[in-house]
Amino acid sequence: MSLFKARDWWSTILGEKEEFDQGCLCVADVDNSGSGQDKVIVGSYKGYLRIFNPHPVKPGDEVQPEDLLLEVQLREPILQVEVGKFVSGTEGLHLAVLHCRKLCVYAVSGTQGNVEHGNQYQIKLMYEHNLQRTACNMTYGPFGGVKGRDLICIQSMDGMLMLFEQESYAFGRFLPGFLLPGPLAYSSRTDSFITVSSCQQVESYKYQVLAFATDADDRQDTEQQKLSSGKRLAVDWVLNIGEQALDICVVSFNQGVSSVFVLGERNFFCLKDNGQIRFMKKLDYSPSCFIPYCSVQEGTINTLIANHSKMLNVYQDVTLKWATQLPCIPVSVKVANFQDLKGVIVTLSDDGHLQCSYLGTDPSLFQAPKVDSREINYEEMNAEMKELQKIIREATKTQDILPESEKQRDVTVTAEVSPDLDEESQAIDSEIKAGAVPSVTVKVTIQSRVTAQKPSLAVCVQAPLAVTCDQFVFGDLEPDSSETVVLSVFLRENCCPSELEGTCIVSYNIPTELNPEGIPRVAQCNFSLPLKLICFPAQPSKAANHKLTIDTNKPPISFVTLFPDFVDPSEGDQANVLGFEFLTGSKTTLLASKTSQRYRIQSDQLEDLWLVTKELIHRLQIYFKKQNCKDFACTFSGSIPLQEYFELIDRHFELRLNAERFQELLSERAVQFRAIERRLLTRFKDKTPAPLQHLDTLLEGTFREVIALADAAEENQANMFQAFAKLKSATHLVIMLISLWQKLSADQVAILEATFLPLAEDTQELGWEETVDAAVSYLLRTCLSKSSKEQALTLSSQLSMPKDTSKLKKNITLFCDRLAKGGRLSLGTDSATQQAAVMPGGCATIPESDLEERTIIPGSTAMFSSNGQITKQKSKP
Amino acid sequence: EPLFQAWSYFRRRKFRECADVCSQLLERPPGEQELDSEYSVFQAAWNLKTRALTEMVYVDEIDMDQEGIAEIVLDENAIAQVARPGTSLKLPGTSQGGGPSPAVRPVTQSGRPITGFVRPSTQSGRPSTMEQAIRTPRTALTARPITSASGGYGRLGTASMLTNPDGPFINLSRLNLTKYAQKPKLAKALFEYIFHHENDVKNALDLAALATEHAQFKDWWWKVQIGKCYYRLGLYREAEKQFKSALKQQDMVDTILYLAKVYLRLDQPVTALNLFKQGLERFPGEVTLICGIARIYEEMNNISSAAEYYKDVLKQDNTHVEAIACIGSNHFYSDQPEIALRFYRRLLQMGVYNCQLFNNLGLCCFYAQQYDMTLSSFERALFLAENEEETADVWYNLGHVAVGIGDLNLAYQCFKLTLVHNNDYAEAYNNLAVLEMRKGHTEQARALLQTASSLAPHMYEPHFNVAILSEKVGDLQRSYTAAQKSEEAFPGHVDTQQLMKQLKEHFAML
Repeated sequence: MSLFKARDWWSTILGEKEEFDQGCLCVADVDNSGSGQDKVIVGSYKGYLRIFNPHPVKPGDEVQPEDLLLEVQLREPILQVEVGKFVSGTEGLHLAVLHCRKLCVYAVSGTQGNVEHGNQYQIKLMYEHNLQRTACNMTYGPFGGVKGRDLICIQSMDGMLMLFEQESYAFGRFLPGFLLPGPLAYSSRTDSFITVSSCQQVESYKYQVLAFATDADDRQDTEQQKLSSGKRLAVDWVLNIGEQALDICVVSFNQGVSSVFVLGERNFFCLKDNGQIRFMKKLDYSPSCFIPYCSVQEGTINTLIANHSKMLNVYQDVTLKWATQLPCIPVSVKVANFQDLKGVIVTLSDDGHLQCSYLGTDPSLFQAPKVDSREINYEEMNAEMKELQKIIREATKTQDILPESEKQRDVTVTAEVSPDLDEESQAIDSEIKAGAVPSVTVKVTIQSRVTAQKPSLAVCVQAPLAVTCDQFVFGDLEPDSSETVVLSVFLRENCCPSELEGTCIVSYNIPTELNPEGIPRVAQCNFSLPLKLICFPAQPSKAANHKLTIDTNKPPISFVTLFPDFVDPSEGDQANVLGFEFLTGSKTTLLASKTSQRYRIQSDQLEDLWLVTKELIHRLQIYFKKQNCKDFACTFSGSIPLQEYFELIDRHFELRLNAERFQELLSERAVQFRAIERRLLTRFKDKTPAPLQHLDTLLEGTFREVIALADAAEENQANMFQAFAKLKSATHLVIMLISLWQKLSADQVAILEATFLPLAEDTQELGWEETVDAAVSYLLRTCLSKSSKEQALTLSSQLSMPKDTSKLKKNITLFCDRLAKGGRLSLGTDSATQQAAVMPGGCATIPESDLEERTIIPGSTAMFSSNGQITKQKSKP
Repeated sequence: EPLFQAWSYFRRRKFRECADVCSQLLERPPGEQELDSEYSVFQAAWNLKTRALTEMVYVDEIDMDQEGIAEIVLDENAIAQVARPGTSLKLPGTSQGGGPSPAVRPVTQSGRPITGFVRPSTQSGRPSTMEQAIRTPRTALTARPITSASGGYGRLGTASMLTNPDGPFINLSRLNLTKYAQKPKLAKALFEYIFHHENDVKNALDLAALATEHAQFKDWWWKVQIGKCYYRLGLYREAEKQFKSALKQQDMVDTILYLAKVYLRLDQPVTALNLFKQGLERFPGEVTLICGIARIYEEMNNISSAAEYYKDVLKQDNTHVEAIACIGSNHFYSDQPEIALRFYRRLLQMGVYNCQLFNNLGLCCFYAQQYDMTLSSFERALFLAENEEETADVWYNLGHVAVGIGDLNLAYQCFKLTLVHNNDYAEAYNNLAVLEMRKGHTEQARALLQTASSLAPHMYEPHFNVAILSEKVGDLQRSYTAAQKSEEAFPGHVDTQQLMKQLKEHFAML
């Protein structure tokens, strides 16, 4: 991140696919021209040595051919180039080139030509040393305080310092505790070598100490080298910096102090001569190279640090003075003087991008990419806008999200239930113990008229029932093709279902021009299952607790014709008694009166009556429809079995209370468990071990309790599920009886069903009781209300679990009374059955719709939450 | 020379190549390498590869700050439940003035003002019980703690499985830690490998304990590492001890930062502040320390001090993105959008190029009445949005602008679009409700408000709006309860207080 970029003064790209590293760049007046003009010397791992003298006519010019003074290919890779007074007897600068196994010192000289491009440069080998070990890097300086010449110290890959006094080899020493080479520097003030060892320490070795230590090379055999490791080289000082270093520089710009700069992988240190930290700076980037270059102000030193995010930062001590963008990641940076320009930054990148640049206020040209904006045609835009607004208006008129009208169905799904039960039961892991559980085959066919992508079919039946496979995924459907799957339905759990129905839903995508991924669509169909799936004919029983009588206006029909699948035809015509036994074990008996037009259904349990009653009425209706008899009607005269119904409600409610108690206990135990855990943790963390004082036993005990409670809660939940299924059956029955009794129209039945059978799941937070209570009392307050006084009653908006069911029972009884007195169910003009629908935003709140209170003056002075939500999400650079 | 090649690759941060070359070196038959045992290529290559693999996945431990539910619940460090004002981060309301009111600056779920820069720690809050923690709605921008610390750390640790298809490089269970602990040069690299690459804190701690013993407790580095391990394991007091002892041996910026992090976790921001200030005496001008101070002040709701310190940061390092962003957002919320605009423009010039920045630029332009730039900024923000949440943010702000220029239809559609992109957006629900209220659709407005308040119980606006709505309808009881909730969320809200007063008068009359 920077505002500016480095201004390009001169740049070139060296070679092709050559590699460069830290040591490969050196800046000095290598040909001793005396003009104070620096040359740029670059060596590559490919072995090319190049010397440049950049002098562009104007900044940013092309590279002139005469800028390249010299290009030689040496046979071996060049690890490092340095310039110093390496040849004895002369103070002139010479070029030292470090190869893997060789050190060469060259003299560079130029002969003036007639014209500028006629200048000739050449190198002459002064001397060379062959090395025994692989070299890594080198440093030079007036070791031991010699005047006027530079000595060279080479660090090998295996940790030996080899010192050369110009043409002759002086001695070699192993560094103690060596593993990987670190950067090496020589400090002339203290006459010592500074390096960073593998132990992440800055170490300083006095030249004197090195010189007087035992010579490593005297012992050629490895055995003795091992011995020498025992005798440690005495370290002058050590500083633990806790990280590996990339580079070390020793500078002393003003006479007083000299500082050692260490560039670590994450921090930047400035050390005093004696190895104490003068200052340090934590870097929030990964640096690549650095160079301290001058001090402008007394006591401060300026440093250039380049990093791997292509930035070059200028620090004055620890204060960032300038940051600039570079075109590439440099591996080496130097400061040079050219012509009349001082302080040019020379950078060399990994792949040979050599650049001389200077700092300037050239903005780093970050051009935000253009957003693809169309040429604006206002007329067209206006037309499109109008069109869109029309669509939006229509959409808002017809509620927000409504299914589209099903004019044409692209995909149809049909389910066909086979009339007979499967010969071989397909039931899997059914909980019912009694013998074979029957199953029935359902054939689902999907027909498509268009291309439907990714169709998937889901088949669902109410819980005690189950299907063998409820998910099918197909490949894309071609136009006018179809898919068929076969599955079986059976009773899995040991209780009676409240409905014998199932649903098939197909979801698919239809691709359009604008949306190649397709628009999601859904098609569905229902199917009803035969009664035989859950019960079989049995011996009728005379006595029963619950009896219902249905009146009709037609003579009774023989069960042989009505229930051909249950009555054995051989029994003859006199079958006016029919017994059913459910798979769960309970029995229901159906009686037809021979003389009067009545049917009687009786059973020990109220909820068992429902399915048989429904089946009976259903079959009667079908039968009379076939006979073309339109005025057939069933009625129910007797009183609604509310008392028995209330018992079921109580049972369900009791289980809900239980569940709540279990939940409380469970959370109590969990809190206890965590408390014990916490105590144990402190015990274990204590330095001085203390006895556990049976905390572990307590933990174990609590754990068992939690598990037992959870088991009990689970069992309770299963019971509650069964109870709810029973309650649902009974509710269906009650609804049916009420509608037969009061001869309600289909609309009114729908309202009744919406009232008593909310779509919401029965959960602990929002159960059946409070939902139905709210719905019933709403009906009582509105369409069934006797006086306007009742209408004014307000309800609480929050639905919560009631303390007992007495209010609900009272309301239901009242509801039946009002209906009996001729109340009419209607919801007026407003949207129907809203009370049962779940509002968005969770089921915790169900606001009632205020029909009577719609006289609010619009224009409330509510306030906006006038906060621009500002979020900035950025990772630190 | 392969080893030199590898070493050079490592220095140039080409870790993949470096590891490859090292693997080749390591595959050589061991007989060759054991010729001289003082120094062996094998060891060097092993060490280099370890370091390369570590660097590939290195994340500065200081920036890692995520608190999971498990850590919060089992945090047995006793902390004063009722802290004195200004000494705790847990009680957001205890600012000593200088903080903006929530009416001006939105707050996060834990009650702190929204900051200008998202960092890991701004998203963590400290709910008091497990139950509350779990029930907090899970939206991307709220303060719900992550389910477990293994979330972030685990992802780091999986690096070990990805990099080497033929099994991990070092089999930790077979390591003889004692042996390695006696070789300090290998041990440090190995420790970092175990800690960062394998994410095996326990083994790392074992190794560090052995190593520090071997170094006769004189190596501060090992102490810091032990402290880091303790911190990860949740043993804050022990970590504090280690860091303190390390600091005694050697002053280091990193150690100070770690120690401050421990104090923050122990909810002692004042101690952390003092520590930072001491650290600044030793290392004057250290950006990370100043920035740490600024962050603490910001979390303690002391915005003016925070801004001061952020300015100090900029004096030291004028390219510090976090500081620029925070100062910018601070100016924005203190009604100086023009100045905020300059800061954000600066960020843009520096090359920050993302949806959030343009979002902020658009808002600043709008409030600075530079309407021509507003829409194009938002256009760019939409273009740059990376996920649904960001798109939702942009649409929300567009809706806001539409409200500002009075185009209620557009505003309505913008808020709807917000909800399309992110249907947890409580603010959008609230504003949509207000629009519905203006149209006279009371029930819809109420439903929307209820949704808003259930999504974001920490906002006072929905409660207040419910109160007003109910009061208009004449439902005084409900209005009163809603007003109470509103007051709870924002005690100093004048309008709420007035409404309460009015309601109480009504009740008194009855």
